[in-house]
Order: sequence, then structure tokens, then C-alpha cells
Amino acid sequence: MTSAANAPVLEIRGLTKRYGELEAVRGIDFHVQPGEVFALIGPNGAGKTTTLRMVATILRPTAGTITMNGIDVVKEPDRARQLISYLPEEAGAYKNLKAIEYLKFVAEVFFDDRERAAEAVRMGREVSGLGDRLDDKLGSYSKGMTRKLLLARTVMTQPALAILDEPTSGLDVINALELRERIKQMAAEGMSVLLSSHNMLEIEFLSDRVSMIAEGRIHATGSPAELKERYSAENLEQVFARVARDGREVA
Amino acid sequence: MRRFLVLLKKELRELLTLQTLLPFVIVIAVFGVLGQTLSAVSAEQSAAAPLAVADEDGGPYAQVVLEALELAGFETVTVDGPLTEDTAQDLLDSAEANIVIGIPAGFSKAIAAGQTQRLPSWTRVRNFSFIGNTDIASFDGAMSVVNSAVAASVAAEAAPSVPPAMLQQPVAPAEHVIIGDRSAETPAIAVMSFVSQQTTFIPIVLFLVIVFAAQMIATAVATEKENKTLETLLSYPVTRTAIVTSKMVAAGLVALLSAAAYMLGMQQYMSGMEASMGGGTESAAAASAAAMQQLGLTYGPTDYLMLGLTLFASILVALSIAIILGAFAESVKSVGSLITPLMVLILVPYLLTLIVDLSVMPDAVRYAVMAIPFTYPFVTGPALFLGNYGLVWWGIAYQLVWFAVFAAIAARVFSSDRILTMKLSFGRKKR
Ligand SMILES: Nc1ncnc2c1ncn2[C@@H]1O[C@H](COP(=O)(O)OP(=O)(O)OP(=O)(O)O)[C@@H](O)[C@H]1O
Ligand SMILES: [Mg+2]
Repeated sequence: MTSAANAPVLEIRGLTKRYGELEAVRGIDFHVQPGEVFALIGPNGAGKTTTLRMVATILRPTAGTITMNGIDVVKEPDRARQLISYLPEEAGAYKNLKAIEYLKFVAEVFFDDRERAAEAVRMGREVSGLGDRLDDKLGSYSKGMTRKLLLARTVMTQPALAILDEPTSGLDVINALELRERIKQMAAEGMSVLLSSHNMLEIEFLSDRVSMIAEGRIHATGSPAELKERYSAENLEQVFARVARDGREVA
Repeated sequence: MRRFLVLLKKELRELLTLQTLLPFVIVIAVFGVLGQTLSAVSAEQSAAAPLAVADEDGGPYAQVVLEALELAGFETVTVDGPLTEDTAQDLLDSAEANIVIGIPAGFSKAIAAGQTQRLPSWTRVRNFSFIGNTDIASFDGAMSVVNSAVAASVAAEAAPSVPPAMLQQPVAPAEHVIIGDRSAETPAIAVMSFVSQQTTFIPIVLFLVIVFAAQMIATAVATEKENKTLETLLSYPVTRTAIVTSKMVAAGLVALLSAAAYMLGMQQYMSGMEASMGGGTESAAAASAAAMQQLGLTYGPTDYLMLGLTLFASILVALSIAIILGAFAESVKSVGSLITPLMVLILVPYLLTLIVDLSVMPDAVRYAVMAIPFTYPFVTGPALFLGNYGLVWWGIAYQLVWFAVFAAIAARVFSSDRILTMKLSFGRKKR
């Protein structure tokens, strides 16, 4: 999985985060290759969101390094932000803006160049699949519609690394399938993805590699097939259950 | 810079919604209406109120009374007496008047004989409002008119060589007032009432504008947290300083816009006030206004500019503190209680300066009050009247120092984890 010619988009070493007394992330290492979809799975409170927030430059690590295309994310967050696009879990949108205005706002924040901004809006419009509803105010959007719009917003800037925290939570089956297809397609076109999810079907479908995280530590990393083999499990859910139990014993 | 403008546009769009603008519109409308009402009331006041007179005497002095009233501009309606406790009500009704004066039989004879006479009168009090009750004032006016007229005609009989006016007021005041290095001929009491009208009204506007600005920005931050848009915003390729300043500039602009609108409303109110001054007659009002101007008690362009600068500095201080308080909020609902400390900081100098002047406070209290940045917008108005520009400039500079300190803290809060992890409960634990 690691070829010397392919420098990783994201490289994480010894990443640690404390919230006061609580050590939410306890020294983890992983990397993401260009065009790779890398997933973090683990029980509630394992530290997935905390990790993604540190990569997204909105939390400062207590210790460890995050390197993105050679940029030290902790030291130069402003440069790193040009490369990433972050979809938080349970993210919302500005209720007074129309969906299309929101897309334009984000595009203009990312790109000084008018042409590129317009291109991003065009792509966001298409990916969202919301059609005429884009002229409605976001306050009138359903949860699923908002999520679709936000996902479109995340990928439309064509980031080197998209950070997706539970991307399809709250979506119906059809919409979730559509969005997964879209993520997979964009990864095939070269976008790297770092995501977290509780949906094992989604993980199996999307991810090239998976890290199992529990109690702030990574317990296993590999492709879904490798992990199933290592834990002699039939599906990822069984792998998950075992790792989660082990994690609790370790802690 | 361009990205800053993009952020600013978004912030303004968030702020300029119907819900946020409605309170401003209402307040401005109220001030406008207040001004209109004041001038309307004063116009009505100067128009003569109908006065019912029950003349049972019919003698020469009764005639003097009636003529004097008419000459003074009172619309008199003669009603058929006698005026007693039982008939007063009916006489008022029949004449549609609020005041009825009775001239009893034998009035003229008694005056001619040198006896002081009593004129019975009944005044109907319909309300207890401040300006609505003009009848009582007009009755006072009517009595003094009657007195001088009767006195003049008695004097003309008794001492024909002396001018009647001299006998009535042998000593007349020629009052002069000095404020700072300016002086004018006008009654001191008129100056005091003019100034107190301004010094009670302007602070209300200042108070509201500062509080609105603080509320707006704290709500803007709390809304980002509640709607879960903050995390995304913080991951965009814009500096945190740009995020903080765009929010402050947007709230500051809206607050200034509202301040400008208030000034407009206030001007209407003030012109309404001025029109109702000087006893209602136009020439008296003009004379009085001229005297106030001569004393420096009306604001010129420079004064408005300095008032504006002071207010702007206060808005900046309020914004920089409120944005930090807003960062503690978990939801929009908690904003109200979070900015209470700031409100108190604004309310204290507002109320204090409304009641007492800085210069008469005990030293310790005065320095404590002057340490509060929000004191300055409230003392600037009177300071400008007195030409005390030093205090005004000092106030602006002092407030800018506060702003610099809190803006720096705000920038730190937004560039660290704290903006996401800071909570009310966390804040309490620390205390
Ligand atoms: N702002 C915060 N302050 C204090 N503790 C926090 C904060 N955010 C998260 N934590 C704690 O850190 C640990 C990891 O939380 P995190 O949100 O990263 O978990 P997660 O893996 O994303 O869980 P989930 O699957 O439920 O989303 C939890 O114990 C959580 O309580
Ligand atoms: Mg999470």
C-alpha cells in the first residue's frame, strides 16, 4: 500500500489531544495516500471527531505532528486550510441564506479567481442534486437536504483532502447511496478522503483502508479484507465488536 | 482583503434580517412620532383654549376683564350664570370648555371701592399627563392677564401721572447667563430646562445603540455555535483575525446605521421640544433658541462629530467584550444572561450621570466611574456644552485602549481551541 514514489497527502505521528484531565486521543499514527479513502471507525467517544478536528486545523494537538503535502499543519494552519475541506458531524448552515448564496459564499472564500469560484459553484450545484430548491432559504431545508448541500459544498472546492465526519448520517438509503458513489468517484479522480463512520456497509464500500480506534488508540489498520482476515470475522461489524471489547480491556 | 469583504458581506446579510431590524425600526418610529406629537401638542397649546365666562356683573371692570382675555388671545364664551358648585358642571358642558370663570355681581363696584375681589373658577382636570394638561397653564396665564388689566385701569384712575406698566412691575429682571466663556441674556431657569431636556434624552439613545451593538455580535457568535456553522467557518482558508474583524465591522456598521437613524429621530424630537419652548409664541421661541445657540448649547457639526467618535469608540469596546462573551454561549438563548455583566457596565454610568454630574461626585466615586469606558459617551454631551474638549478626547483615547486590549483577547480566543471548547459551565468552574 505504500509505494516510495507516492508521498502521502496526510501523515500523522504521535497525535495526542487532552481536554483538561481527559486524554481523548493518545498518540496515534496513520497516513493517507493521494486518491485514497481512509476511514476511522470505533465506538462513541473513541476520539474520531477529535482527530478529524485536529486535521481540520480547528483544534490544536497537545502533542504529535500533522503533515499535509509537506506543510506542518500545526505551525502553518493558514496554508493547510487551502488544501482541505471539512464536513463536521451535525454541521448546520446559515438559515438566512439561500442555498445558492451559501455555495457562492464558500466558493468566494476559497478562490480569489472569479472563474474558479464560478466553477466550484457549478460543481456544488450539480453534486447537491437539489435543482430549483437551491433558490430556497436554508432555514426551510430538511436535515437530509442540508447534509447533501454541505457535502456538495465540501467537495466542490476540489480539496487535496476532504475530511468527512459521518458524511451520510441522517440521510435516507437512496441519498446515502448517491453520495457514496459521488465520494468514490471523486476519490478515483484524485481527491483523498479521511472519514469517520458508524456504518460498516459504507466503510466496506468506500474505504481503501480502515483504522480501528478505541479509547483514543489505534488498534488495527488495514484494508477491510485484511482486517476481516486478521480477526477471522465475516464482516467489519464483527471486527469492530472485537476491537471495541479489546479496547475496553486494555483501558 | 477580498476574502474579508466576502466574510463581511455574509455577516451583514446575517444581521440585516427582519427580526434584527424590527426593534430599530420601532424605536426610530417612536422617536419620530414623539417629536411630531410634541410639536403638535405645543401648537395646540398656543392656540387659545375656550374659556367660559359667566358675567353677572356687567360693570366697567368686568368689561376690562373680558377685553383683556380676548386681547391675550383667549377664546371666551359667555355663559349665563350664576356660577355655583351645582351649575359649574353644566356651564362647562354647555360651553365645551375646561375652564369657567365667574364674575360675581358687584365686582366692578367693589374694585372701584378698593376692595380685592375673588373670581371663582372651575377647572376640569381630565388627565395627569406632563404636556397634555395645558388648561391649567392657560388658566394661570388668564389670571395674570386679568390682574394686569384690572391693575392698569385702577392705576390709571388713581395715579394718572405714572405709566401703568411701571406700577405693575417697577423692578424688572434682566437676566444673563454665563457658561464657560460665553454669555447671553436669557433666564437661567430656561437654560436649565433646555439642557436637562437634552441630557436626559441623548443618553437613552446612546445607551440603546451600545447595548444593541453588543447584543448583535454576541448573538451572531452564539448563532454560529448553535447552528453548528462555526466549526466549518473556522476551517476555511481565512485568517481568524479576518473572521473576528468581519463580525465586529458588520455589527459596528449596523449599530452606526441605527445610531444615524436615531439621530434623525432625535432631531425631530428636539425640534419638537424647541417648538414647545418659550411659552408657545414663535418670537419667544426664536429668541430663546438664539440665546441657547449663543451659549453654545446647540451642537454644531464639530460637536456632532465628536459625539459620533465617542459613541463609535464605545461601540467598539462593547463589541470586543461582547464577542468574547458570545464565545461562551452554547445557544442564542444564553446570550441574554451572558452579556448581563456588560449591560451593568453600561447601565451604571448611564444612570449615575443622569442623576449627578461627574464634577460633584466624591473623588473616589468619580475615579471609579471614569474608569468605566462607557462613562464617556454619557459625559461627552455636557462636556461639549461646556467646551471641555480635553475630557472628550481623553475619553475617546481611553476607550480605544480598552478596545485594543479586548480585541486582542478576542483574537486569541478565536485562534485557539477555546472558541470551541469554552462553555458557560467551564467558565463557572474557573470562577
Ligand atoms: N470540547 C470537549 N471538551 C471536553 N471533552 C471533550 C470535548 N470534545 C470531546 N470530548 C471528549 O473526548 C472524547 C472523544 O470524543 P470524540 O468526539 O472525539 O469521540 P467520537 O469518536 O467522535 O465519538 P462519536 O462516535 O460519538 O462521534 C470523549 O470522551 C468526549 O467526551
Ligand atoms: Mg464523532
